[in-house]
Amino acid sequence: MLRNVCIQLKNGLPKSYSTSTSSPASSELAALEPRKLLFPSNYKKPRQVWLESLDTIDERKLTILELHPEIFAANPRIDLIHQNIKWQQNYRYVSYAHTKSRFEVRGGGRKPWPQKGLGKARHGSIRSPLFRGGGVVHGPKSPTPHFYMLPFYIRIHGLTSALSIKLAQDDLHIVDSLEIPSEDTSYIDELIKSRLWGPSVLLVDSVDIMPRNITAATDTIKHVNLMPAYGLNVYSMLKHDTLVLTRGAVDLIEEKLLGHLHKNDSRAVEAKYKLNQV
Amino acid sequence: MSGNADKALNILKSLPRVCLGNIRDNPGSRLGTKRGRGQHGGDKHGDGNKGSGQRQNFMRIGYETGNTPFYMRFKKEEYYKGHHLKRQYPPLSLLNLQKFIDLNRIDASKPIDLVSIVNTGLFNISIDQKHFGINLTDEGADIFEAKLNIEVQWASELVIAAVERAGGTITTAYYDPDSLRAMVNTKKFFERGTPIPKRMMPPPDAIEYYTSASCRGYLADPEKISEERLVLAQKYGYQLPKIEESSEYEMLAQRKDPRQIFYGLNPGWVVNLRDKVVLKPKDEELLEYYAS
Repeated sequence: MLRNVCIQLKNGLPKSYSTSTSSPASSELAALEPRKLLFPSNYKKPRQVWLESLDTIDERKLTILELHPEIFAANPRIDLIHQNIKWQQNYRYVSYAHTKSRFEVRGGGRKPWPQKGLGKARHGSIRSPLFRGGGVVHGPKSPTPHFYMLPFYIRIHGLTSALSIKLAQDDLHIVDSLEIPSEDTSYIDELIKSRLWGPSVLLVDSVDIMPRNITAATDTIKHVNLMPAYGLNVYSMLKHDTLVLTRGAVDLIEEKLLGHLHKNDSRAVEAKYKLNQV
Repeated sequence: MSGNADKALNILKSLPRVCLGNIRDNPGSRLGTKRGRGQHGGDKHGDGNKGSGQRQNFMRIGYETGNTPFYMRFKKEEYYKGHHLKRQYPPLSLLNLQKFIDLNRIDASKPIDLVSIVNTGLFNISIDQKHFGINLTDEGADIFEAKLNIEVQWASELVIAAVERAGGTITTAYYDPDSLRAMVNTKKFFERGTPIPKRMMPPPDAIEYYTSASCRGYLADPEKISEERLVLAQKYGYQLPKIEESSEYEMLAQRKDPRQIFYGLNPGWVVNLRDKVVLKPKDEELLEYYAS
């Protein structure tokens, strides 16, 4: 969903998010630097969170990070989250339920019995909806697509609401990277248990090529999933109990969402998708 | 807003985890289609029994079964006669203008015109709805303090006084629809590769406004305008700031030629955005046509 949301920004960005090139030593140092917030707010204080590391089973705190209040302390609009989730469930759903009307059901062209003289009710067809085996009135027809687009800023505010709720309910954790020392499944199991995460955990990185160990360790655990930041969406955030973002992912998510919340050409960009244009 | 958000987030801290199973839309925000069921489900749906009510063949609206209808008893008053031809000036208040400047959406150190206001993305005009530019309105006149050189298409006396009291200058200028089309989306216009058009003179019914010094018309005599500035200062009782002594005099005194549309660009020039060059006509005939 974030990918849909960020299509305009994508072309303008010089860096590529699909490969990890930096060496672990330099990235660890970079992760410890204090964050510089884009579009700092005059009225709201930044939220502070611990930067953790996945390299030990027990929680190891590295430093404190500041998160942008417009993204991580936004108004938790449950209704917008609901709308986002309904949209995500519906836009790709095509109903294949199908029924036949009285004219599509085989037979029934002949008047079953004379109009008068039998003392029976008058009927013109044995496939009338009154008959057993007759057609269905106003029944479902296949295929029925349920596609629609949610307005752009409802999608944006759905994301900020979901992130804010996750942080407020202590279900959001920031880690320096997704590097873990072993590719053993039990390592990640124990880590989640010892840190009181989950049970279901969504791990989000800024790039879509994840470190080998985490990929191997989470491969067989169905409720621990990996996701690149461009795939982050409201449904997955609520589907999983705990959301784990890498610092790179936090930077990327903030940059994209703040970019959309603060751009001044949104009217022109949205205009062409507007219905009922004069 | 931030207070409400913080309160809500604080409450959420002690509530069960928000998940797919416990969210809902705002109550009453969506109405489903209703299908009547139960005792009165298959009834007449409020349409009564038989007749015109049920079959919807009502009498035409206003018909009084034979009397001369009310709407035909009196002479027509053509309030909207020619409405589709009247020039419209969408309003922009001094309060909003001040806000744009305070929030750095407009650079007041340069002359402000329709182009710079539309480029904020906060104000737009649609030419096909007969919009002819900005009507600067007096809301916020008391607190207006930006010192600027602004060109609008319509301004009241109070607005002119508010701008001039703050040490700025204001001009009212007419743009024909072709010129406006170039101004509201400059990028699109330059990409089209057509020469910048020559601004047309105002239509006959607008000549009076745009030549009058009291309206600060762009066709008025500059000397008369400086007289009117003094007259207005005396009428509203403020000390007229001397713009001649101001350090920004050059900016404040800058005016467009009556045939010019963009500051710094003359009619007939072609702006090539890709090669970043401005092409100027050399042909004698063209020069003669585009000369003001």
